[in-house]
Amino acid sequence: MSAKIMIVPCSGIGKSYGSVTREAAYALAEELRPEKTSVVPLSLLVLGDEMTRAAVQAAPVITLDGCKLACATVNVRQAGGVIAGQFAVLDCYRRHKDLKPQGIAELNEGGLALARALATEAAEVCDRLIAEEADHA
Amino acid sequence: MPDLPQRKIGIVACSGEELAEGTVTRLAALKVLEQLRPAQTVTICLPLFLAGGEGDRAFARFYPTIAVDGCEKRCAARATELYSNKPAATLIVADFVAQHGLPRPQGPRRLSPESGPIVDALAEEIATEVDHLLRARWSRTEGAILEATAQTPQVATAACACGSGIPVTTVQMDGRQVQIMALEPILALAYDQGLRSEGPLPARIMATVQVYNAIPAGEEAQWERAVALAWQAFCQRRLPISA
Repeated sequence: MSAKIMIVPCSGIGKSYGSVTREAAYALAEELRPEKTSVVPLSLLVLGDEMTRAAVQAAPVITLDGCKLACATVNVRQAGGVIAGQFAVLDCYRRHKDLKPQGIAELNEGGLALARALATEAAEVCDRLIAEEADHA
Repeated sequence: MPDLPQRKIGIVACSGEELAEGTVTRLAALKVLEQLRPAQTVTICLPLFLAGGEGDRAFARFYPTIAVDGCEKRCAARATELYSNKPAATLIVADFVAQHGLPRPQGPRRLSPESGPIVDALAEEIATEVDHLLRARWSRTEGAILEATAQTPQVATAACACGSGIPVTTVQMDGRQVQIMALEPILALAYDQGLRSEGPLPARIMATVQVYNAIPAGEEAQWERAVALAWQAFCQRRLPISA
């Protein structure tokens, strides 16, 4: 992958699910695929920061959303970014009903584990994108 | 006058993921919302200004807001002003720590233990600002503390994603659509306090509407007619089915 994959979490502050996206983004970019991914601050996209817009336009983007409003996805699309992977915490939670997230400032164990599961799913998309690029090279 | 929905202060944190300062904004805002001033504050997710549509942008027009930013880019303050209204107050972590001689926070994902006091101090600063704004008169149109009456109401909204939005009712006034903030809860409170639609519109309803809406000069009579119609319709809806 020539350009790093951009990871955009919603980081919503009203519910635990937003914190799960934030934690998952960090887990992905710091632990699971640190060489291949980079976290994009959504606040900069909201503001229309030119460098941030250019970054999401120039690389594949994976969005992590905490609720159905899909703020991360909507903002990336409005910035002209191409979304290669779109994840919703609620979908992930349905697949992992035992991992109930609680807390916003500090996620509980379930929330941290759910974030890990979300990050793992997103990492698989990263791997696919990298493999596809290698095939086309 | 019926009891009014309490005025609250909106807190918009940048929550920037790139810097520890962004995490400080998030944690300090949450501390105010959950511990220091839970009854006086609400939060607004910054990305909702774009993703949530007009309803969410309207939220910050109604409430005075405090923008809490991590760095000089001031995403929260600038985006709030760009999409909604000028924040009543802004705080920047980078400036705050410099002014108070605090160390720069460390650890975007997990703040270092040494950064905890920064969160606490910033949260206290936000809470102080909340108290100040609650005591002040706020002009929604000017986005500032003013003694003068606000001039123009403009908003359309449902509820914010966090469930703390302001209901807005759209009414017809001489062939155009006008949105009145907080009309439904005002009518509901009036009804619950025993007022009914027989006779002219109770003066206190209009007085309360004026608290939450800046009625343009010369349009008072139109507004009163529209509110009176809404009041009658509301009372009809509340009538027992057997009536």
